[in-house]
Amino acid sequence: MPVDHKRINGPEESVPYELFARLSGLTSEKAFEQLYKAGKRSDGREFEEHRKIFLKNGAVSQAKGSAYIEMGQTKVIVSVFDPREIPNRSDYSLKGELYCEFKFAPFSCAKRRLHQQDNEEKQYSCIMKKALESAVCLHELPNFQVDIYALVMHNDGSALSAAITAAGVALVEAGVPMYDIITSVTVGIQQGVKLVDPDSLEEQMCQVQFLSEKYQDNNHGLLIISKLHTQEQLCQFYQNGYVSLEVLKSGLEVLSKTCEVIVPLVQKCLIKHITNGIKS
Amino acid sequence: MSLCDAEKTFILHGVAENFRSDGRDREGYRPIEIETDIVQHAFGSARLRLANTDILVAVKIEVDTPLPERPFEGKIEFFVDCSANATPDFEGRGGETLAIELSNILASAYKSPKTFNLKKLCILKGKKCWKLYVDILILECGGNLFDAVSLAVKAALFNTKVPLIKSVNIDGDNVELDVSDNVFDCERLDVTNAPVMVTVCKIGDNCVVDPNLAEEQCSVGSIVVAISQEYFSTVTSIGIGSLHAQTLCSSLELGQKVGIRLNEALMDTLSHITSDQDFGFLK
Amino acid sequence: MKEDSLVCLPGQRLSICDKIYTSGQGTYERKGYIYSMLGGVVDIVEKNGLKVLEVHSNGQNTVIPSQGDIVTAEVYIITQQHAKCHIKCIGNTVLKSSFRAIIRKEYVRVTEKDKVEIYKSFRPGDIILARVLPITEAHSYQLSTAENELGVVIAHSEHGYPMIPVSWTEMQCPKTLVKEPRKVAKVVPENMTTDILSVLQNNV
Repeated sequence: MPVDHKRINGPEESVPYELFARLSGLTSEKAFEQLYKAGKRSDGREFEEHRKIFLKNGAVSQAKGSAYIEMGQTKVIVSVFDPREIPNRSDYSLKGELYCEFKFAPFSCAKRRLHQQDNEEKQYSCIMKKALESAVCLHELPNFQVDIYALVMHNDGSALSAAITAAGVALVEAGVPMYDIITSVTVGIQQGVKLVDPDSLEEQMCQVQFLSEKYQDNNHGLLIISKLHTQEQLCQFYQNGYVSLEVLKSGLEVLSKTCEVIVPLVQKCLIKHITNGIKS
Repeated sequence: MSLCDAEKTFILHGVAENFRSDGRDREGYRPIEIETDIVQHAFGSARLRLANTDILVAVKIEVDTPLPERPFEGKIEFFVDCSANATPDFEGRGGETLAIELSNILASAYKSPKTFNLKKLCILKGKKCWKLYVDILILECGGNLFDAVSLAVKAALFNTKVPLIKSVNIDGDNVELDVSDNVFDCERLDVTNAPVMVTVCKIGDNCVVDPNLAEEQCSVGSIVVAISQEYFSTVTSIGIGSLHAQTLCSSLELGQKVGIRLNEALMDTLSHITSDQDFGFLK
Repeated sequence: MKEDSLVCLPGQRLSICDKIYTSGQGTYERKGYIYSMLGGVVDIVEKNGLKVLEVHSNGQNTVIPSQGDIVTAEVYIITQQHAKCHIKCIGNTVLKSSFRAIIRKEYVRVTEKDKVEIYKSFRPGDIILARVLPITEAHSYQLSTAENELGVVIAHSEHGYPMIPVSWTEMQCPKTLVKEPRKVAKVVPENMTTDILSVLQNNV
């Protein structure tokens, strides 16, 4: 990975100290065992329960539209800027374009992130762009580009979903024509247990294969979907890990259901914004 | 390539009739040509041609230190180069987004330890491991890149020979590796579970696999599934367009079915390739 | 706006699409129904017996130049064939970011089109009023000043003083009394244009 030499970077070979602590402490496998025995998650949630969401639009005054979302400890700010002409393009395109930038703040994760986008961030930007492209009426913005920036200030799992949901709100506030309201949810899968809206520890837990004999189920992984509410369309779908068809299908159902739970929240936030606008 | 409405309708009707414009049914692949061990300086290589798509993959191996959070594992990295040879659209930075997308999907598909076990690449815990550099060169772009790239990568990894280490000497912080002198002393990588990607395209009310460029134009939404045995290691939607949950499920089913078949065919072909066949590309 | 206005969100179904109700600005039509594509207030506009549903979002609308709009633009490059400019205002809304536009020689004035010479009509730095032409294949907006009311409104002489129009083809510098050729706009003393002028003069 290229390093940005204009900034002062941390030492090249430094390692967060927690790594050495964790080796002796709680492994993903033990954490899962605790969680499975209790039938509840460490923060007292049911397996298929979403964390409480705080959603607020108009967080950045300079931007045309913006939103701030908190899902448990995960905090994301998304801003949308005025459509502008697509730079450095000589041909005319009838459809507009989106530019998405997803960024983890350097201090947002357990490990320090660099200022430059790494591969994971680039991939998330791609997924976000894909999700929003199907929600925005691109034909209404010929030859224009809408810039969307998502900054994760604290990553405690499901940051991408949070960013997509918030971006939907920010786009509406910016007055960008949209087909529908967009919501996004993540689910983690481990041993057939579906953890809706996993935090970062649970996310980690869902990325590994347990070695001990008692866990025969190979299923593990993460699923992220984005849904357009009225049209009941999935505008984005992403899965990784190792998941069988049945689990994938049932995961999809859980996700769809959870998306519906979030929709009223998004609607409430937007209606509040609109009625405030009318009054003033 | 742009199609007029009449051409699109023709393709649409063909798909509905389960008889596509090139004579295939909805689950059919175009002929695939594959050869391995063609790059002298690489530890493993493969070239794959699927209709007009041409891919060259070479694997290089280097010694590296494992990541501190994963002391027992080796590393694998994918680099995709969309050269302007393939299509003029890739000129300059044009192919960059596609290249990033391809390498990200590959990395995600190979991430799970069930698909590709990185622990085999560890030489000495926390000190030394092998790092695989998988370089993918797109020579010609004729649609359905994802499938072609994943097949070529799997073939190249199958072909890869990891040098055998006879002994490891530890002297304080210094680690000395003693690699076998005999060039033929090497290990093969286990790629039985390595994922195969299938692009499923929704055209009209049906889903097809291995779309050609014209069919890609008519698609209202497509997904890429990476199949490892009968499990899914990565699924992602590509391009603009949304799908209903029902459609998604049926395309997953189709993808799985075709993926398993494709994997079997590939493994069968690879096991029949013998090293003394010296004809073909770059030879 | 009224207190009792009808609030809607993107993707909300507003009405059936038939002979009476049609979809207008801020809405789209799908499978015989009209849906909103903005978050805002629903307006029903009656036009020749038709009821057009429109949705207006509050706050500043995203304004894009469309065919027939009167825009205020600043010229930045002139060539033999055309003048390039940045659109600064559309109607009486000031834009946050400007749009690129081009005025071809043929569209500078109504009469004697073949004798037009760009350098005798515009100079870089001039503020002009123009009308947006239909968008064609070209990658930027095309403007026309082929009307009496359109053309240069603010121009500075070579010595940097704001000039005063003396005829429809000439402007004069009040300090040096040098006359420079321009395609001068006959500014109609109307509220709209004076608003724009005052805004622009503050910017200059």
